[in-house]
Amino acid sequence: MILRLAFASLFARALTVGMTTLAIALSVALFLGVEKVRTGAKASFADTISGTDLIVGARSGSVQLLLYSVFRIGNATNNVTWESYLDIAARPDVDWIVPISLGDSHRQFRVMGTSQAFFEHYRYRQGRQLQVADGVIMDDLFDTVIGADVAATLGYNVDDPIIVAHGLASFSEHKDQPFRVSGILEKTGTPVDRTVIVSMEAIEAIHVDWQSGAQIPGRSTPADVIREMDLVPQAVTAALVGVESPLQTFALQRAINEYSQEPLLAILPGVALQELWGIVGIAETALLAVSAMVVVTALIGMMATIFSSLNERRREMAIYRAMGARPRTILSMLVLEATVIAALGALLGVVFLYIGLAITQPILDSSFGLWLPIEAPTMREVWVIIGVVAAGAIVSLVPAIRAYRMSVADGMMVNT
Amino acid sequence: MKQALSLIALIVAVPAFAEEQRQLDAHEHGVGTLNIAIDGATVAMEFHAPGADIVGFEYAAESEADKAAIDAAVAILSAPLDLFGLSGAAACTLTEAHAELENEDTHDEDGHDEDGHDDHAAGEHDDDEEDHGDEEHDEGAGHTEFHANYTLTCDNPAALTEITFPYFDTFPNALEVEVQIITATGAQAFEVERDAPILDLGR
Repeated sequence: MILRLAFASLFARALTVGMTTLAIALSVALFLGVEKVRTGAKASFADTISGTDLIVGARSGSVQLLLYSVFRIGNATNNVTWESYLDIAARPDVDWIVPISLGDSHRQFRVMGTSQAFFEHYRYRQGRQLQVADGVIMDDLFDTVIGADVAATLGYNVDDPIIVAHGLASFSEHKDQPFRVSGILEKTGTPVDRTVIVSMEAIEAIHVDWQSGAQIPGRSTPADVIREMDLVPQAVTAALVGVESPLQTFALQRAINEYSQEPLLAILPGVALQELWGIVGIAETALLAVSAMVVVTALIGMMATIFSSLNERRREMAIYRAMGARPRTILSMLVLEATVIAALGALLGVVFLYIGLAITQPILDSSFGLWLPIEAPTMREVWVIIGVVAAGAIVSLVPAIRAYRMSVADGMMVNT
Repeated sequence: MKQALSLIALIVAVPAFAEEQRQLDAHEHGVGTLNIAIDGATVAMEFHAPGADIVGFEYAAESEADKAAIDAAVAILSAPLDLFGLSGAAACTLTEAHAELENEDTHDEDGHDEDGHDDHAAGEHDDDEEDHGDEEHDEGAGHTEFHANYTLTCDNPAALTEITFPYFDTFPNALEVEVQIITATGAQAFEVERDAPILDLGR
C-alpha cells in the first residue's frame, strides 16, 4: 500500500524526481569513475613490468628512471655509456641484461632499440611473455617489431616499409634508411603496444650519416654499406637486469649505485612503483574526497527537494491523516520515496559509468596508455551503492520527521 | 664477446687517468635500512644504521668507554634474531652474521678494492684519500654507519609473514627502519616506525 502510494507520488512529480535522480546518478558515476581510474591506473602500472629485478640507468631519481625507461613518461634520463653497460653485464651475479635505447620516434610512437633478449626476458602482467601476433621477431638490421597499437593506428602490416625519425618530433626524418616491419606483437596493455622496436645496432645505423643531430648535406650511405659497418652501440638509456639469485639483488644494486666510473642508479621496480604511489596517493585521496563531497551535495539536494515538496503536499498529507493514516505511515512513505530516488540514482549512476567507460576506454588507452577493464562491479563498488542508498534514506529522515510532526496541524489550517 | 672483453680491458685501464672520485651515500640520523631477500629456505638480510642511532656518537672512538660501546654494539648487532623478530612459525635460524662499524671514507676505499681497479692506482692517490679521511676524523665531521650482513635458514619460509622490531627497545636513538624485501613475487618497501614496531608483510 505504502509502496504503491510512494511510487504513484513519485510518478506524479516525475520532473522534480527525475532531476534529483539525475543529480545523484551523476555524482555516483563520478565517484565510481574516479575509483575506477585510480585502481585501473595502479593495476596497469603494476602489470607493466614483472620479472625484472633491477632497472639500471643514469643517476637520477628512482621514479624518474622507472617512468622514463618503462613507461616512456616524463623527462629523459641521461644516457649510460656502452662501456658501463658491458661492465655490468659482465658481473657474475647478472643472469641476464637487456639494453634499452630511447630517443627516436616513428610518427607519434617511440622507437626503442634493444636486443633479442628483450623478447625473451620482458614480462608483463604476472609473468606473461611477449607474443608475436603476425610475422617474426626481427633478425635483420633494418627489421622492426611493432606494438599492437602502432599497427592498428598506422594500418601497418608485416613487410611494410617504415621510416624512423630523429628525436621525438618528426621534423627531420631518417629517410635514407627505410625499415621493414617484420613482426607485430599481440596486444599487451603496456607501453610496448605503442613502441616500434628495433635492434641496438639499428639505432646506430640510423645515425651513420648524422652528426650532432643534423644530417651531413649530400651524404647518404646506402643500406648495404651500413650492413658492412661495425655498428657498436654508443649508449643505452637504461637496462633491465635479472639476477642469478634474489639474495644477490641488494649487493648488485649497491655495487651499481657505487660504480665509480659513471654515476649510475639501480632501482627495484616494485619499490620505485610504491614510491610513486606514495607521491600520487595524496592527490588520489583529495580526488576521492572531492568526488565523495559531490555525492553528499547531491544527497543534500535531494533533502532540499523533499523539504520543498512538503509545502506542496501539505493538503495531501493532511488528507492521508484524515483518512486514518498514522503519522508513522507518512514518515515511512517519505523515507521510502527518498530511498527509491537514491536507489534509482545509484543504479542510473552505474549505467552512466559503464556507458562512460565504453566511450572513453579506447580514448584513454590510445592517448594515456591506461586500460580500464569493463567488468562487473567489485564488492567495494557495491558497498558504495548500498552506502548511497542508505545515506539517502537517513538524509530523508529530516524532512520526514518534520512531516510526521506537522502533518495534521499544517494541512488543516485554512490559510494554505 | 671478444669486443666485450677488449672493452672491459679498456675500462679497467681508464681509472689510472681518472680524477679522484668523490661520492657519498645518503645518511639520515634516526633512520636505518633493513634489506631482506628470500630465496627458497635462505634468507639474506643486511642492516645499515647510522652510528648516532646505535651508540649515540659518530666521531672516531678515542676513549676506552667509546671503544667499549662500539664493541658492545657490534656484539648486539651480531645477534639479529634478538633485534628483528621473524615469525616463530617460519623457524629461522642464524647461519652467518657479520657486523662492523664503517665510516664513509673507508667504505669508499672498499668499493675501489672490490672492483679491482685500484691495483695500479698511483700511491699518491691512496695517500690523498687517507689524508682526507684523517682530516674528517679530526674535525669529527665524518659520518659512521654500522653495517651488518646476516644469512638465515628458515624451515618454513612461507610462514614468514611478520617481523617485530625489539631493535627500537635496544637502541633508543633509532626512530625508523626502512625495510625492503625481495621475494619470489617481487620487491616491496615498508617503513617501520618506533610507534608501531611490527611489520606485516601481507603475504
